[in-house]
Amino acid sequence: MRVSFQEELDQLEASLQEEGALVLRVLRGALNALEQRDVELADEVIAFDDDVDRLYLQIELGIQTLLARQTPVATDLRLVLAMLHINLHLERMADYAVTIAKLTKLVADVEPDPPLQQSLQEMGERAEEMIRVALDSFADRDLDRAETLVELDELIDRTNRRFVERVVELVAEPELREWVLRMVLVSRTLERIGDHAVDIGEQVAYLLTAEFREFTDASHPEEHV
Amino acid sequence: MAPMRPVDVAAQTEPSTPQSRETVFDIQGLKASYGSNVAVKGVDLEIYRNLVTAVIGPSGCGKSTFIRCLNRMNDEVPGFRQEGKILYHGIDLYGDGVDQIEVRRRIGMVFQRPNPFPKTIYDNVAWAPRILGLKKDLDERVEKALKGAALWDEVKDRLKKSALALSGGQQQRLCIARAIAIEPEVLLLDEPASALDPIATASIEELMHDLKTDYTLVIVTHNMQQAARVADRTAFFSLDVDESGQGAGVLVEYDETGKLFTAPSDKRTEDYVTGRFG
Amino acid sequence: MAAVEQALTIDLRAGARARRRRLVNRIAEAIAILAAAVAVAMLVWVVWSVAERGASLISWSFLTGDLPIPFSPEVGGIGPLIVGSAIVVGIATAIALPVGVLIALFLEEFASNWLRVPIQLAIDLMTGLPSIIIAIFVFSALVYGHAENGVAGSLGLAIVMIPLITRATQEVLRLVPSDQREGALALGASRWRTVVGVILPASLGGILTGTVLAVARAVGETAPLLFATGIFGRTLQLNPTKAMPNMPVQIFIWSESPDPLDHRRAWATALVLMTLVLVMSLVARIALNWSRRNTTR
Repeated sequence: MRVSFQEELDQLEASLQEEGALVLRVLRGALNALEQRDVELADEVIAFDDDVDRLYLQIELGIQTLLARQTPVATDLRLVLAMLHINLHLERMADYAVTIAKLTKLVADVEPDPPLQQSLQEMGERAEEMIRVALDSFADRDLDRAETLVELDELIDRTNRRFVERVVELVAEPELREWVLRMVLVSRTLERIGDHAVDIGEQVAYLLTAEFREFTDASHPEEHV
Repeated sequence: MAPMRPVDVAAQTEPSTPQSRETVFDIQGLKASYGSNVAVKGVDLEIYRNLVTAVIGPSGCGKSTFIRCLNRMNDEVPGFRQEGKILYHGIDLYGDGVDQIEVRRRIGMVFQRPNPFPKTIYDNVAWAPRILGLKKDLDERVEKALKGAALWDEVKDRLKKSALALSGGQQQRLCIARAIAIEPEVLLLDEPASALDPIATASIEELMHDLKTDYTLVIVTHNMQQAARVADRTAFFSLDVDESGQGAGVLVEYDETGKLFTAPSDKRTEDYVTGRFG
Repeated sequence: MAAVEQALTIDLRAGARARRRRLVNRIAEAIAILAAAVAVAMLVWVVWSVAERGASLISWSFLTGDLPIPFSPEVGGIGPLIVGSAIVVGIATAIALPVGVLIALFLEEFASNWLRVPIQLAIDLMTGLPSIIIAIFVFSALVYGHAENGVAGSLGLAIVMIPLITRATQEVLRLVPSDQREGALALGASRWRTVVGVILPASLGGILTGTVLAVARAVGETAPLLFATGIFGRTLQLNPTKAMPNMPVQIFIWSESPDPLDHRRAWATALVLMTLVLVMSLVARIALNWSRRNTTR
């Protein structure tokens, strides 16, 4: 039994979960900033991303060293490869949270449209839920749980579509135009976070089944704005 | 606002590198030869306390000669000559008045083939303490050494049985127990797992990982992956052939193991670790 | 599928060259077996002729009884001869064993090259020394001017035994794997400690074997005892400073005698001596196997 190797793997996985927790915090911060039009908090979110990046880099280096030194095979190899991907997805999510924070700052002085504001918060909560499901299914090696991410993603997509319909109505109002256009990007960003969560679920499935497959059919027409 | 306060994640996951390294061996311009054959030359490197330092390289690169200089085992070879300095805590190992027996007592060695004495398991471990006059609490000393070598549980009920009845991997761990029974500071391992099967090899590698909390380890191995797995720092030796056609081992690169195996700075190291050598 | 069919067409039957090779092989083998058979046959012949002529006299009283008075029709016994031989050889072994082993240790473990070569040469020459020369040397040095005595004979035998024991010990010391030596040295043991603590114990069986073979050889040596042990004396002699009757010399004396009964006594004694030597060689063999199992892995 290669105890020290196992310890290294465990440590990497723990770091990854830690990164996931940071992503959740940074996303929550971004959503709060958006809701309260809090520029200060938005700045903090942007600064906090450095911590995520640092952890991301550390995990990346750890995986590189592990591959070079331990030559993992079988389940160990799949775990390392899955972690390599999950790490990247989490880092992207944090970047999206920063995007939301930046957009928030740009329109902080505009009075928002309450229904739209409402559906953005709803999407944000769904995205958070998806990140949690993705991280838990990875931690628990739970294939069924990972597969539920597809349905959750469907919900975000639907909210996103509804959001776009409402935008089409509002874009004619000049005082709201800028805010609406910026918020389209926020909506799109939240939808992308959901996609990354699904990708993490796919990595969990790969780890457990050793099969490469997409949860959603790639040929299926994607419905983005 | 509370959840947004940055936490110092860096401090928690930083790989454990000792802040201030204590140098155990400071090797300066070492040249070792047998008769007119130069085995290694121009070796400069420092070996640090409580780390595993691996020496890798192709056959004939002088890595075995090198490690045997560190406890003066080469003195036994007729025609051996050494130039340059090997400072052990600042004291020249080959200096005047340095007794090779004292040197070897502090710098233990484990060899390629397990070489237990044809005695009982107990007597194998107790042999060196006895001749060195460490007879007090001998039983405890033997037990501690066997535990240190992760062998105690397997042999505690047959200490009075012949050591030759043990498996190869157990014999090698017995040799490690024998070496640490006199509490050396350094343990030199000359290809300690090359005669063992993969499972026994894994147990030796695991043991090295545990041993470095108490000892400074230097391991010679022809198995690169083994160096990659167990060593904190790795030295790559290669064979350097001069204009006259005479070959001698030289130190090519010495760095953190992770660095050496992901981004070696010398082309020769790169070729060797990627298997493009020669 | 195609590859399998093709493989089946390869002709694996012997060709002309292979047949010739096989013939040469057979002839060489036959010659070797013949040579071995001749050697075994000679041994069987010797053993048989000795046993055939000597067996009739063998009895408990022959083995334990006193020597017969010359020309007596009583068969008598060879008890004093066996005891004498044992004492003489015993003393010889007591001298030759430590000396022989120490020489071997010196040669193998300590001597530098310029010392080893001449000493090795001397030992090899000693092995080839005709035993009659040793006898004359011992006679001139220890017997002439003194009385004949057992110790002098022992010394002569010791001179025969030392090179044998040295040689045998050297062989077995070389058999001790060098990693045993290194293992001990690496633990901070001195050279002498290494030799006494590790190398000697590991080679004990082999040294024992060499010694037993040397004893077997010495017990049959006649010449060194010729001048050193008495011709007279019929009874048990336990004092080695006196002349000691012994087997080989008595065999020689009896075989020279005109009395036909003495010839039979000589054959019977020869049978006893031969049996002893064979048994000892056998013991040596077993001891060697035992020690090999213990030193090598």
